Amino acid sequence: MGLLSDPSLSTHNKLVDNLAKHMRKVCYAFYTAGVIWFMCLALPEFNHGTYLSENALSPGLVYPEIRIDANRLAVQLLEELQRERKDHQSTTPHAWILAKFKEFGLETHTHNYTLRYPFGGGKEFHGKNVYGILRAPRIGSTEGIVFSAPYRAPSSVHVDITSSVPLLLAFADFARRKNYWAKDLIFLVTEQEQLGMQAWLEAYHEGDRDPDSTNSYLLAGNLPARAGSLQAALNIEVQDFEIDYIDVKIEGLNGKLPNLDMFNLVQRIMAREGVTSGYKQTPRKKRRSSLSNYEQNLRQILAMLSTQSSGVPNGNHGLFHRYRIDALTISAAKRVTNSNVKANPSSAAVPLLKAIEGIARSLNNLLERFHQSFFFYVIVHNDRYISIGDYMPALVALAACSVIKAYLTWSTLEATQKSDDANPKTETASGLESIKLSLPYGSVLIYLAAALFIGYMGNVLPLHQYILELPVSAAPLTASILIALNVLGFGLPFVVVLPPGALELLHISLLLIYGCALIVIGLLNFSLGFFVAVLTTPMVIALNTKSSANSTLRSLTRVWTLLLNPLVVIYIIVLIMSFYQFPELTLQQLLLRAATAAMDASTFALIDSVIYGNWLYFAICTVFLPLWIICWTLALAKRRDSAIPQAKLKIN
Amino acid sequence: MDGKCYKLLLIGGAVRLYFSSTSLPSLIGHRVEFATPLNSFKRIQEGVFLLQQGVDPYRGDLVHETPLLLKAISSILIHYAEWLPFLYILLDLCTAALLYSMSRTFVAQKLQQQRQERKDYAKDTEELQYSANDKYIIPELVLVAYLFNPLTILSCVALTSTVLSNLLLAMFLYTMIRRQLFISVALLAFETVRSLYPVVLIAPLLLLFARRSVSLGIGICLLFATCCLAVAGANYFVMNSWNFLDGTLGFIFYFRDLQPNIGLFWYFFTEMFEHFRTMFLITFQLNATVLYLVPLSIKLRKEPLLLATVLVSLTAVFRAYPSLGDVGFYLALLPLWRRCWKFMAHGFVVFTFFLITLSMMGALWHLWIYAGSANANFYFGATLAFCTGQIFLITDLLFAHVKREFCLYNGQKIMIDGEEARILLE
Repeated sequence: MGLLSDPSLSTHNKLVDNLAKHMRKVCYAFYTAGVIWFMCLALPEFNHGTYLSENALSPGLVYPEIRIDANRLAVQLLEELQRERKDHQSTTPHAWILAKFKEFGLETHTHNYTLRYPFGGGKEFHGKNVYGILRAPRIGSTEGIVFSAPYRAPSSVHVDITSSVPLLLAFADFARRKNYWAKDLIFLVTEQEQLGMQAWLEAYHEGDRDPDSTNSYLLAGNLPARAGSLQAALNIEVQDFEIDYIDVKIEGLNGKLPNLDMFNLVQRIMAREGVTSGYKQTPRKKRRSSLSNYEQNLRQILAMLSTQSSGVPNGNHGLFHRYRIDALTISAAKRVTNSNVKANPSSAAVPLLKAIEGIARSLNNLLERFHQSFFFYVIVHNDRYISIGDYMPALVALAACSVIKAYLTWSTLEATQKSDDANPKTETASGLESIKLSLPYGSVLIYLAAALFIGYMGNVLPLHQYILELPVSAAPLTASILIALNVLGFGLPFVVVLPPGALELLHISLLLIYGCALIVIGLLNFSLGFFVAVLTTPMVIALNTKSSANSTLRSLTRVWTLLLNPLVVIYIIVLIMSFYQFPELTLQQLLLRAATAAMDASTFALIDSVIYGNWLYFAICTVFLPLWIICWTLALAKRRDSAIPQAKLKIN
Repeated sequence: MDGKCYKLLLIGGAVRLYFSSTSLPSLIGHRVEFATPLNSFKRIQEGVFLLQQGVDPYRGDLVHETPLLLKAISSILIHYAEWLPFLYILLDLCTAALLYSMSRTFVAQKLQQQRQERKDYAKDTEELQYSANDKYIIPELVLVAYLFNPLTILSCVALTSTVLSNLLLAMFLYTMIRRQLFISVALLAFETVRSLYPVVLIAPLLLLFARRSVSLGIGICLLFATCCLAVAGANYFVMNSWNFLDGTLGFIFYFRDLQPNIGLFWYFFTEMFEHFRTMFLITFQLNATVLYLVPLSIKLRKEPLLLATVLVSLTAVFRAYPSLGDVGFYLALLPLWRRCWKFMAHGFVVFTFFLITLSMMGALWHLWIYAGSANANFYFGATLAFCTGQIFLITDLLFAHVKREFCLYNGQKIMIDGEEARILLE
């Protein structure tokens, strides 16, 4: 029997009928298959060892030339900087950094930017980045590599990473003396964490455009000098010269990752210099354990996916990805364990400097942008990865649940309609098609549009001029708008009476849109798509619009749907996180703290979306909230069917 | 045309007008799914500018619109640029109205034909026959399918010249059904000189007008050739050079622009060894034009309009620079075959295919071009799936038609020894 050339006259497929009887079982089977496939990915048979596929990188081909004097310089610079920091409690010692860059003979510039904070009456913040360009002696400035170090003022709440700037400067001094650079090297010191980096990147790439000042919150300004198209970037966060291990951070904006070659390169070079380094490295994790422990691998995968899913970069490198620049952060942790094996302080930074030199020289060899290896991968272990072809089936199986359910529901639509209509069919000509034709497409479309509109408002309203002028601070404002929209969505099915047949159609369209949304979100950010799928697919499968369904089951589905409201999910996630962070709190305190934290989280997500271009907030408002509203409508189905028997009769 | 129909037209116009006032036109105008090198508005603007500067627009590789239309659009664009969206919307509404009247005539003809053949039909086949009600329902469905299909709306809003192609095709179908031979041949010639592929539509014309006599067929072919020459000549007199032929027909045939689109050409021609290019060029172009022409014409000789529908949709899938506007046009013709729908098994699957692949195309294009993490293979995968979905749809329609024909004469339930018979394909 050919799929396209099936000669049987009836479109009524027995297989479909049989499958439709076991629709939920089939769907749950697919769901389980997807989850099991995902679990299997942690097995060594399902993932592969990493390898370098870009030959031009040739890591470790040259002997490192950086010597002890660079270390001495770094230590001396650190001492100077520590003295400067005493006078600059909450600012950056720009003058000192500038002077040093100039002293080393770099083309030095500063970059000013302004943040117009939209909330709380519109405050303005100013910031300043310092960067020096080392022009490539061998080529006109067509390509560049960025080495950046964030500077944190002593008043910062984050971990102290003062040593990064001296390290960067010491490397800059070394690099300036060499004549083999084929790409411009940019040494960049940013302040105010990711904001400074974002401003610098925006200025670098879009600075010459006319600023569209009405709508933008970050005024990046322009740069006085550039260095061609940026090929790669390395962000350095060093807590101390005496390092315990290096954590390589790769997750970028919207879950984007640098090319796997870049990660491998860093791993190779670090290994050669004898530095303990790894992905999500912790003090106790071994760098290379041959018996890849299943549980450990799975934890690693989940840890990576959860970092990725929020779409918030976990370092300054993440913002480079937006401009197609492969970047990662090497974050060196201070030595606290085994303090008795203290290394010689006069040469402590040498391995790190050598590693940076090695990375720089490999990047210098690049003939074109990173393109050989994977951009979509999950790191299982420091030297093992899963490629997109292996992990995507898990998500596809989950998305397939909803599509299969949609197909089966659609093909059995006639049967359900017949059983719903008590009176026998009067018109003989009205076959299957005319039932499908007479479905209330218009009202369903309008309902979908209404749900979408409610969600979309979540995007527009908090930034509306009128609302911004209200004398309320950002967090309660955003949260109250979101709650109001959710309540609106909650109430929508109680107010709007859909014509008969609309629920079935709404159900099918929900399933299709849901499947589509999962696949698209999964393509853009696999982690987010996968987590959402794992959380919500069982509920979507359980949804049942038939009036004959079990009432306890139905109320269970309703509770389930309510629990999966985007706001509730965010609250629960924040609650769990605060439970682990503050185990000493009582339940009441915990609930309250989680509520404020969730409010803050929604505001941060909104700010992230307008300043950095993180689309998580947009996705939640415009995709998940409308989908939830429709789910909720469907979960309430029974009450509404019994409420409108008269309207139904009239139409019949 | 009744009141409801005017209402629908008005709403369709309002929707298009609303979307043209948003930021959508420039966004869609840059989407490769809608704007191909052949039909994008940007290219027409270029052409108008070159014309204004006194440069032959067909010298370069930018403009692929025929001189007649380019001149016409340029005079509008220069003097009344702000009215151009209105003109396009109006033309699109004309297309819809033409399709509506065409389907009305078609259903009326079908009903008449049915009355003559009724005695041959089997008993339980009322639902396969066109009913009196269809005279109202089918044209309305066609109208709705054209007016409110997002694909046609967006390609109209983006001012792609697919709007013009659709109008010409609709006019051609209308005149063909109305049996106005000369006008339809002239329209077909005009559209053929613009975009090459409609040449296959000569087959339904021949079937409709010259089934009995070969000489008439040859006459029509000659007439068509003369019309083509006349149109080309008219174009020549506009530009005073023959460069435009290479700029339009040559550009289509030789597939010079490898910009990705929803079709099958670009990926193969990017990957291919250069010395095989000619061979594959001919293979692909044959596939898009004559390969299916003969078997389909023989099979569908009694249904010229179905043949036209299938040919239009096949060329929309296989042509060198397909756009979603073409897809929207043939989707609007499907309601004509409403009585076959009973046997169409894959409608829902195809719809799902369309929905998923179209949304994936957006995501993958973003990942490929802007984020730089995906590559051409991902995008081509999505377009390939989209084409597969379309082919599913076309095959499904053909099979449904064959089954309907069979059932119409043999009854829907065929009993052999008290059991329902299974029909085998041999």
